[in-house]
Amino acid sequence: MDTKTFEKLLLSVQKPGRYSGGEINSVIKDKSKIDVRFAFCFPDTYEIGMSHLGMKILYSLFNSREDIWCERVFAPWEDFEKVMRENNIPLFALESRDPIKDFDFIGFTLQYEMAYTNMLNMLNLAGVPLRSCGRDDSHPIIVAGGPCVCNPEPIADFVDIIFLGEGEEVDLEVIDLYKEYKNCGKSKQEFLEAAAKIEGVYVPSLYNIEYNNDGTISKIESLKSAPKTIRKRIIKDMDQAYYPDKFIVPFIEIVHDRVVQEVFRGCIRGCRFCQAGFIYRPVREKSSDTVNSQAKCLCENTGYDEISLSSLSTSDYREIEPLLNKLLSWTDKSHISLALPSLRIDNFSDEMLEKIKHIRKSGLTFAPEAGTQRLRDVINKNVTEEEILTTCATAFAGGYTSVKLYFMLGLPTETDEDLKGIADLGQKIVNLYYNMPNKPKGKSVSVSISVSTFVPKPFTPFQFEPQITEDEIRRRQEYLKSCITTKKISLSYHDSATSFLEGVLARGDRRLANVIEKAYSLGCKFDSWTEYFSLEKWLEAFESCGVDPAFYANRKREFSEISPWEHLDYGVTKEFLIRENETAHSEKTTPNCREKCAGCGASCYGEGVCFEKR
Amino acid sequence: MRNVRIFYKKKGAMKFVSHLDMNRFMARLIAKSKIPVWYTEGFNQHIYMNFAVPLSLGFEGLYEILDIKLIDDNFSNEECLNSLKSVATKDIEFFATKEPRLNMKEIGFAEFELEFDELDAEKLNAFLSQESIFCEKKGKKGKVKEIDLIPKIKEYSITENKLKICLVAGSEDNLNPSLVIETYFAQTETPPCFYSVSRTQILTKNGELFT
Repeated sequence: MDTKTFEKLLLSVQKPGRYSGGEINSVIKDKSKIDVRFAFCFPDTYEIGMSHLGMKILYSLFNSREDIWCERVFAPWEDFEKVMRENNIPLFALESRDPIKDFDFIGFTLQYEMAYTNMLNMLNLAGVPLRSCGRDDSHPIIVAGGPCVCNPEPIADFVDIIFLGEGEEVDLEVIDLYKEYKNCGKSKQEFLEAAAKIEGVYVPSLYNIEYNNDGTISKIESLKSAPKTIRKRIIKDMDQAYYPDKFIVPFIEIVHDRVVQEVFRGCIRGCRFCQAGFIYRPVREKSSDTVNSQAKCLCENTGYDEISLSSLSTSDYREIEPLLNKLLSWTDKSHISLALPSLRIDNFSDEMLEKIKHIRKSGLTFAPEAGTQRLRDVINKNVTEEEILTTCATAFAGGYTSVKLYFMLGLPTETDEDLKGIADLGQKIVNLYYNMPNKPKGKSVSVSISVSTFVPKPFTPFQFEPQITEDEIRRRQEYLKSCITTKKISLSYHDSATSFLEGVLARGDRRLANVIEKAYSLGCKFDSWTEYFSLEKWLEAFESCGVDPAFYANRKREFSEISPWEHLDYGVTKEFLIRENETAHSEKTTPNCREKCAGCGASCYGEGVCFEKR
Repeated sequence: MRNVRIFYKKKGAMKFVSHLDMNRFMARLIAKSKIPVWYTEGFNQHIYMNFAVPLSLGFEGLYEILDIKLIDDNFSNEECLNSLKSVATKDIEFFATKEPRLNMKEIGFAEFELEFDELDAEKLNAFLSQESIFCEKKGKKGKVKEIDLIPKIKEYSITENKLKICLVAGSEDNLNPSLVIETYFAQTETPPCFYSVSRTQILTKNGELFT
């Protein structure tokens, strides 16, 4: 497609900057000197995908190799998709504008289940058959990674290779193997069988699944000498791990339009609902010197004026104070501001508050997740009401007037009393503000309570739990609403239908492939966007495929049941998850990794928090 | 502290960068270039930048102007230009940095070059040589008012499928060439076709090159 034609088409759509390419630090290479072309696809809009740190890391890493050219691809918005289809433009990569169907690899990062239909739409737009069995040696190898692939079974029929865990090492090993096999003219099948022997590589077509009459799995069998279990890969030494020295700086504003500086991977906390808290184990930190110099380098190479420290729980970073001191020593002078998301409240000291006071004030956000201490113990969210109120008092004294609280609804063992506890906690915070002796005159307090719906996820102690039904979600939402009696508290909650579908897909098996494909053919895409999501269409897809969604979402699993992800090993053992599930039901907490090892199994990697000196 | 006027071209993919996004883009580019630039001192500190007449999304700009302030008086215009060139991307080309000669208020006209996929030169010429062309212009607050295009067109020439046209520009009055062309399509019942727009020059009220 010539530039002029392309530019004409771009002028007819909204936000052409999503498709134009040519951003600062985007990588252009000479095609004739490239051995492997990799299309890195994020199955959502440009603004969301470009904010994703994992993609930035792998994009730069792949492109640091002379023989690989990695390019970006995002899901086109409806207006541009229409233009593409009308003009027979196949899905192209932003850098070269070449059709991705001619690439060696098409890779998807799957960050949330609701993006599955977008993945299919992108394959379709690219002109690539959706199912791996429908593709031959002339098609690109379709690969996938990201947190969703800890249970990749619902999409297993669509991809050739799945990368478990962190991609920095394993992805390149697979690309090298591909080069070797391509050069000596071996077939795709031979390549896949060889790739399956690399640790962290899962080739779904080499596994056969059998089912019992009751619908549960009876057997997962590996074929052609593929390993029985596939273990996720991790990067052991975070100080030595690859980190980009530049980010692409988009023209249009993206969701996280700033330097995102990774501080550590994993989380010591073990909140029982949190998948990230288990699948990224063990915790591995970067030193404050590494973090500081990487952040500085990124600022210099991008011109960004804001840094956000990224991890699952930044205040658990052991070197947080030295790091802040190091950063503040140059950021102020360079007119760069710091943002510290996901700060937990239980070690939010006066000193810390004082330090971040210089920093542009953002909201005060807590995630107690549950309304009563009993339920917080069940989910192992080791935060007490007293701690929340103390922190709020400090923050109010420091001039904050609005507080945001995050909760979950539908947690295992939840009762109406726990829901009332959410409203009560909000009320206590409101009262706390008005009882302050020197509260600012004429200023009101606002407490916003955001309630998401609990979705049981694989590799968490709650993977065995039933999700409450959609009707029950709505009843509990209504009940919670009725408990709030003041206008100082605003309540928002997630759509129950989306949560239900997420629940189905999260713990689904291979029989869902038909459903996903059917839903896609009925027009489902951008399912995480409320304006697009249609539960009716999805239910129609389940119906026509003869699949009962409740089997996946609302059914309690026995510990002995074979889960669809039974052959995948993320370090945490099933025995540990069962133990944690039982501890949850006895309403007891488990200390965090630094207090006491809970024996989750992640120490098998021989690195990280499990081996820290204490 | 002294002012520096930066001259640049905005081409290719940069055409799809809106004026608002251009603000962010330039601020980042300048930060990257390490030019000793002056930051505003308000609550939300940012690099002081003053753009001459915004360029519409989709237009190429060959004579774009941006003023900044330097805190280091010894930092020369040449150093400034070199620093900017060192960070420039493919589609943004810095070609001069000067001491501003005139105030931005002195801007009176802008010259555009339009290239049509299909053009009936005679028909367009007949349209533009009318005594008056009334059309509706949408104001900032969504108010629609009727305006006459002719007094706002300083001069024009047509060669084959190209139109060169000089229109009022600046903070007091401004005419977008798209309005002229859309009115032409509508009032002469010409089927709309694609045309590319390039702003080639910014002129003073006296018609001299604005520097």
